[in-house]
Amino acid sequence: MESKEISLEMREYLISAGAQTLDWCMQCGLCSALCPWRQVPGHISESFYIRRMQRLGQLGLEGFDAEEVLFACTTCGMCQVNCPRQVKIIENVRSMRSTTVEAGFVPGTLRSVIGSLHANGNPWSGPREKRMDWQKGLDVPAFTPETEYFLFVCCTSCYDPRSQRIARSVVEVLKRAGVSFGVIGTEESCCGETVRKIGDEELFKKLAESNIELFRSRGVRKILTTSPHCLYTFKYEYPELGGEFEVMHYTQLLAELAREGRLAFDGAAGRRVAYHDPCYLGRHNGVFEAPRLLLQSLPGVELVELSRSRERSLCCAGGGGRLWAEVPRGERFGELRVLDAEDKGADTLVTACPYCIIMLEADCLALEKNEKLKVMEISELLIQSLRE
Amino acid sequence: MGNKSILVVGGGISGLTAAVEAAEVGYEVYIVEKNPYLGGRVAQLNQYFPKLCPPNCGLEINFRRIKNNPKIHFFTQAEVTGVSGQEGDLEVRVKINPRYVNENCTACGKCVEVCPAERENDFNYGLDKTKAIYLPHIFAFPLKYVIDSRACRGKECGKCLEACAYGAIDLDMQPKEMALKVGSIVWATGWNPYDASKISYYGFGRYKNVITNVMMERLASINGPTGGRIVRPSDGKPVEKVAFVQCAGSRDENHLPYCSGICCLASLKQATYVLEQNPAAQAYIFFIDIRALGKYEDFYARVKDNPNLHLIKGKAGEITEDPETKDLIVVAEDQVTQKLMKERFDMVVLATGMVPATREARPPVEMAFDGNGFVVGGANGVYGAGCVHRPMDVASCVQDATAAALKAIQSTLGR
Repeated sequence: MESKEISLEMREYLISAGAQTLDWCMQCGLCSALCPWRQVPGHISESFYIRRMQRLGQLGLEGFDAEEVLFACTTCGMCQVNCPRQVKIIENVRSMRSTTVEAGFVPGTLRSVIGSLHANGNPWSGPREKRMDWQKGLDVPAFTPETEYFLFVCCTSCYDPRSQRIARSVVEVLKRAGVSFGVIGTEESCCGETVRKIGDEELFKKLAESNIELFRSRGVRKILTTSPHCLYTFKYEYPELGGEFEVMHYTQLLAELAREGRLAFDGAAGRRVAYHDPCYLGRHNGVFEAPRLLLQSLPGVELVELSRSRERSLCCAGGGGRLWAEVPRGERFGELRVLDAEDKGADTLVTACPYCIIMLEADCLALEKNEKLKVMEISELLIQSLRE
Repeated sequence: MGNKSILVVGGGISGLTAAVEAAEVGYEVYIVEKNPYLGGRVAQLNQYFPKLCPPNCGLEINFRRIKNNPKIHFFTQAEVTGVSGQEGDLEVRVKINPRYVNENCTACGKCVEVCPAERENDFNYGLDKTKAIYLPHIFAFPLKYVIDSRACRGKECGKCLEACAYGAIDLDMQPKEMALKVGSIVWATGWNPYDASKISYYGFGRYKNVITNVMMERLASINGPTGGRIVRPSDGKPVEKVAFVQCAGSRDENHLPYCSGICCLASLKQATYVLEQNPAAQAYIFFIDIRALGKYEDFYARVKDNPNLHLIKGKAGEITEDPETKDLIVVAEDQVTQKLMKERFDMVVLATGMVPATREARPPVEMAFDGNGFVVGGANGVYGAGCVHRPMDVASCVQDATAAALKAIQSTLGR
């Protein structure tokens, strides 16, 4: 076995790059054991142990930087919320990734993502001027200083044709509910949540600063997001850069309105619905009740709980830059999520995150369950009930 | 000159020790115990580590010392409701809840035969049930039956009244209040096991065959729910492969930040229960560190020698249940092989830590506590003893309680 060298310089670099809690880790291994990668077989599962990665980081030992280890974490937060020492494991992962990303080494699948964020302000290689194309045929109010909420639509729902339906249904429901909201336009840039998790701190700052300046110049005070990822970064990461806004996921506002009786649904949907808690809405933002309240207020919807739900929800595998990763079938934990829903006899798997939708829909199709199980974003179900 | 009597709150091993030590040098002692019997958590143990002897003999000796000593007075089903005065001259208000069974009880058990109502058996941590009228356990002291008023159907039923030949049952018994004048107080209310259902990924409360270490003591005890046979709660099948999950809630900032210091030894001990009963059984202990401090290193070395005991370095992750067999699957990263370990077990024992009783039930008297509810200091004539101070084993409790008795005596002398 070849010898490896402990590098205190590397260790110090990691700490300075954001891994301040690296030394809190006592190597109990709960993180490795709770990691969703343990639920699937395959090469990544066999190579990637988050406990070991922390240890290598503590010692500045090489090995954490192997691509299949370094970029395996989906940042689902299952380890982090349960860590006995409250180590900020995801920040440690981020700082380890930055050692290679800041030096220009990025996994092949993420190269175009980073390139497009630099060039277009979105990860989907979509031209900036087409950012608002999702609105076609829909009358979406423009944000003015008199508007209460600025609706920030996730890049994914701006460009991905499937995901655009989410943006459209969110807008429709907000209009029906009489919410004062509006969008800014093509000057908006990606929130930067995922690229920060990928380890490109500089690019994150660039995107965030441009957004903060734009939002401020337009007089934004309250933000509604379509994606829990944008919610997370606006709420927890923008304030360090001077961007203080009141931020909510759209389901939170709608749930409030429904609770106050200002939003009622009447169309009978007649569905058996399982709700998948997105990691970034649930574990990372603590929103568990709002989506459930909305689903329960739909006539004809029978809500069933998945075996792993709420704090114990199983990740769809799309966070932390993994949305663009190629994973062989049988090794995707999103597939387990589809099977979880089937296990509960659900005909509809509802969630509240555009990443989850992409992952779960692909996994549902791969398992050939798409005839039996429909994957829907919660706003799509809501608008059906309002239309009928 | 202070009042020469001492109040001991809690009749577990610490309280009994403090009471007996103080009384045997001539002080008047009152024991106030919440349960209908004395002995506390120790009475619920199967064996002590490291000698693996039963706790009954030690308790019996203490009970005899109490019976033979006119200076010791004890009240069961009692609680302290208020304290006033100062060191050397304290007035304590005590409430005694009705037992509904009086001194005439001979523990013949005829009442149980006719009682139609059931209650969860808290002595066995809910592993079985008793009738509404019950004897807490076969070695109970005082050896008298008691009625659980929450389960009892009352006078309209009255079957036990007819069955009792001694007129020992009194369903009209009322709570009583009394006041005691003492010079000092020893607060020894002990500990509660950490609520394992709060560790959601271990499935306690959802999966029948996930139990806690205190429940394991009852399963292994001759006076326990199975007569000492270690079997699965789901189907009564003998346990052939068992997992002990260490630090279930301990050393964990989200639960108990401290190490209870006894759970590693308890699991090693409990592994011997299983391996003794079934030498072909396999026991696995999933740990962060095995903490067998001081002299206990020897016990650890001895137990670990058994080839059917497997020590796995790696905290267990999510526990799942096979819905058909009710077997449990434990996942951990074995840090020696650095590989995933996914093993199927008949039963999982969660090594839960000790929570001081003072965390939830604060004494109605001024005392200082740390952030976890443990008693710190003590100078106003009220002294903690045993597990309200810190998590400790029985031997340490005895020492700590003896020290507390000395401090309590000094307070009565006005020092």
